[in-house]
Amino acid sequence: MSRKWSRGRWAAAGALSLVAVAACTPGGGDGDGGEGGGEMVWALGGSEAQPGRVHQQVAELWSEQNPDNPIRIEILPDEADQQREQQALELQAEGSNFDVLGVDVIWTGEYSTNGWVESLEDVRAEIEEVSIPGAVESATWGGELWVAPYNSNAGFLYYRTDLIDEPPTTWDELCEMAIEAGQQEDIGGFIGQGSRYEGFVVNWLEYYWSDGGELYNEDQSEVVFDTDTATQVTEWLADAKESGCLAPGFNTATEEEARNLFQSGDAVFMRNWPYAYSLIQDDQQSPVRENFGIAPLPTFSGEGTISALGGFNNAVSAFSDNKEAAKEFVVWAATNEEVQALLATEASVPPTLESVYEDLSDDPVMALLGEVLPEAKPRPPAPQWNNISVEMQRNLFPAYNGEGDPADASQAVQEALEGAVEE
Amino acid sequence: MSQPGTPPTQTAAAQRESREGPPKKKGSDQGVVEQRSAAQIWGKSALLLVILLWCLFPFFWLIMTSLKRGDRALNSPDLFQGPFGLQNYEAVFQQDFLLNLRNSLAVAGMTTILCVVIGSFAAYALARLPLKRKILLLSGVLAVSLFPPVALVPPLYELWRTLGLLNTWEGLYIPYTSFTLPLTIFILTTFFASIPKDLEEAARVDGASPFKAFYRVIFPLAAPGVFAAAIIIFVAAWNEFLLASTFAPRNAEVAQTVPVAIAAFTGAVEFQRPIGTITAACVVVTIPMIIVALLFQKRIVSGLTAGSVKG
Amino acid sequence: MAATTTDTGREPGVSGGADRSGGPRRREMSETTLGKVFVAPAILLMALVALFPILYAMVLSLQAYTGRQNQGWAGLDNYVEALTNDRFWTALQFTIVFTVTSVAAEFLIGLGFALLMNQAFRGRGVTRASILVPWVIPTVIAAQMWFFMFNVTPGFINNVFGLGDFSWLGQSGWASFAVIFADVWKTAPFVALLLLAGLQTIPGDVYEGARVDGAGMFQRFWYITLPLLKPAILVALLFRTVEALRVYDLPQVMTGGAFNTESLSILVQQYVVRTPDPGLGSALSTITFIFILGVGMVFVRFLGKELVIGEEGR
Repeated sequence: MSRKWSRGRWAAAGALSLVAVAACTPGGGDGDGGEGGGEMVWALGGSEAQPGRVHQQVAELWSEQNPDNPIRIEILPDEADQQREQQALELQAEGSNFDVLGVDVIWTGEYSTNGWVESLEDVRAEIEEVSIPGAVESATWGGELWVAPYNSNAGFLYYRTDLIDEPPTTWDELCEMAIEAGQQEDIGGFIGQGSRYEGFVVNWLEYYWSDGGELYNEDQSEVVFDTDTATQVTEWLADAKESGCLAPGFNTATEEEARNLFQSGDAVFMRNWPYAYSLIQDDQQSPVRENFGIAPLPTFSGEGTISALGGFNNAVSAFSDNKEAAKEFVVWAATNEEVQALLATEASVPPTLESVYEDLSDDPVMALLGEVLPEAKPRPPAPQWNNISVEMQRNLFPAYNGEGDPADASQAVQEALEGAVEE
Repeated sequence: MSQPGTPPTQTAAAQRESREGPPKKKGSDQGVVEQRSAAQIWGKSALLLVILLWCLFPFFWLIMTSLKRGDRALNSPDLFQGPFGLQNYEAVFQQDFLLNLRNSLAVAGMTTILCVVIGSFAAYALARLPLKRKILLLSGVLAVSLFPPVALVPPLYELWRTLGLLNTWEGLYIPYTSFTLPLTIFILTTFFASIPKDLEEAARVDGASPFKAFYRVIFPLAAPGVFAAAIIIFVAAWNEFLLASTFAPRNAEVAQTVPVAIAAFTGAVEFQRPIGTITAACVVVTIPMIIVALLFQKRIVSGLTAGSVKG
Repeated sequence: MAATTTDTGREPGVSGGADRSGGPRRREMSETTLGKVFVAPAILLMALVALFPILYAMVLSLQAYTGRQNQGWAGLDNYVEALTNDRFWTALQFTIVFTVTSVAAEFLIGLGFALLMNQAFRGRGVTRASILVPWVIPTVIAAQMWFFMFNVTPGFINNVFGLGDFSWLGQSGWASFAVIFADVWKTAPFVALLLLAGLQTIPGDVYEGARVDGAGMFQRFWYITLPLLKPAILVALLFRTVEALRVYDLPQVMTGGAFNTESLSILVQQYVVRTPDPGLGSALSTITFIFILGVGMVFVRFLGKELVIGEEGR
């Protein structure tokens, strides 16, 4: 009996290994090598890079017009961190598999310092003329243009039109309204992105900038961080948590949690990116569907508005076999009217070409973007931005949750910013 | 008549009592006295129900979420809020998921086979054959699996790239085997060592080489341990993410495995977390594994005792 | 009846010592060689694939880096930097607390499960398979799921137990509890599986004998089951402890490491991937490795004694 059993087992094992080996061989290898001549590869992730979506349409548009140098998308994972990891693996090995890279606005400094991308200084004038200033700022480091703007993003204030008549223009006003309406309806007040991650830094910077604070000077050579303002802002946030202005769950919320809370009617105000707008409108079951509006974010002084700039730029890989064509592509993607308009109309992806906003002012989201984007500030795309961001998260987050001292936290952030400049 | 496994019902109640505190009644255990009071039956059933709920409820949540559609339904705390539909499953299979399943099956399968085979030999040697410095060897074996894998990835990636092992099945199951061997060896050594020596002696006396003794006598008796190890290896290899996402990040048609594919799912728009498709994929993936577990669990518990020698 | 090698030629050149007329000395020598040969493939595979990157990482830890750029030799600077960093000690503290608590809980629950799975009752197959379900679900997805359960929005647990807006994940202490709870849920089955297999190795007649001698049920459990289960318990504890010391996915997905739930692996991950500093990252990895190895060695000592004694004693 055991003899039969072990023989059968060996046979199975043998068969399986044969299958495994045989099936492996043809498919094995380094994935798709950068084929010489012709086809370029655009390493990009996210929902709009999927088949049939807008970035694919852009790629097809280019390929039609440039049959000698078509381009195709190599789809990276959804999360920005993972996209960066996969690009880094390829670039550190100096591989030629990617020609064009979809680069987050905060990676410019890192990629350029590592020697991963080609300088675009010679086409700077062309791009700068027509693009949103904030986007161009996010594409420069050390005075040089390293990547080409592609799409953008800015923060909105979403509010309940059935509870609030006029959107607030100051943060203090917002808190008053949030507490009052919240108590009246027994829902949360203000929800943003307060979990301990990059999104929190974005939110905090919006408060800090709107109070007049700055991080670096014009050419990013000096730290002009104002610890007093920073402390004030953090204390305000901590008070807002205590007083009930911040909705429960603020400190564990990312974009999706915030959207879900607001969409199910459990918050008076929400700070989020434009993507939430269509999702709320299209959700038949949302009690908020017809009762919400969008407005620019408030400031502390009541003057103007400021939001953080998000989005993606395109870069030319320093190890590409086809740099000329790649360069043409990224410039085309940044400056071509048709392409930029396509981003907006097909997918509500905010373009970086300023003129598009004038044409689309019927759409409430585009109209508000047109208003807000010129004032949007990018986070400094310093090579050490990740380090700085992590330091900010680690110090400011406990501070507003009552587990750290706001003044000490500001000091730590100052030191982190200065440490980065020195290198 | 060495009968591994404990006799039923009576001991069940006893062991439940032993876990819950001193026995409530000092019954004598002579013979087969069936003391099943109503309280005992209710107690046991209640305990069983709690355990099943504890284990299965989150899985039930996964299934319910995967069957929902519409944005709010997916994210509402009410489990039974509709609308319902199979869209998420459709979406999952539109994304070459079958290929991912194939890849994962091949990689995890090969890992299990290799680990069990190579590990059995090593474990037998450690358990039975005279080897010097066994404890040192065991420590060395253990050490291999302890280094934080995330730090091992960059050098391995470069090596694999040079050897052309990226995006291949062997590029995955070779390191998987390597990193899972320690656990396998420990488990199997433990089980081989627990088999009474005289069984082997008997086989040797009958003229079998240590080798044959191993196959015909030891291996079958160690079956519970072997099957337990096999399940553990398979599940570990199946769910492994770090190496798979580095060595075979894309291209389902070649080697992309299931966890990596799931992590690459996107929502309908940016930032949106595709919880519907993720849970659907998870259900698709878990059900076959449960079936495998159902099949294997019998093997673990039914000790193979035919032909064994009196202890 | 002469022995023949039956399979895949894994032992080239070994005659299998099957010569019946061979004297004791010859048998011993070939047994030792056989032992070495049996162990060789495993050692070889592990050395080739695992040893190389470990040594590489250790060498890397002695170099200085700014970001990703190599700045030359650093000696032990990276180690000093790692050990004088508050974050390291906080992470170590959480990791230890997490490990001790969750392994203890997993052991108790796993033992209970194993004893239950060992019984014969109606629906035992389904019960056994159900008990394995938590462990079979991929960790990242389980982590996501528990986040959904514990987080204030959508607030599943709060809803079911009527807890209103209680923020599990948003405060120290409860955040750790949630992470530990999720881990126990997920991996108690692993312990159960090992202990179940271990229970099979206990011959039933031992119980019979004890019962005849008048031993009570609890006594049988305490004096027979537990001691005989010791090797399996040690293996389960060893691997669970070592895994728990390296926990990454659960705290990362559920809390991002906030509110003192940052584990050693999260810290290592940050310095290797997110804010890469290969020198510091490798140093942290090595320190983590040494610490975990130390803990593991304690178990191996005990286990080794069991196996060696077990072998000779029976």
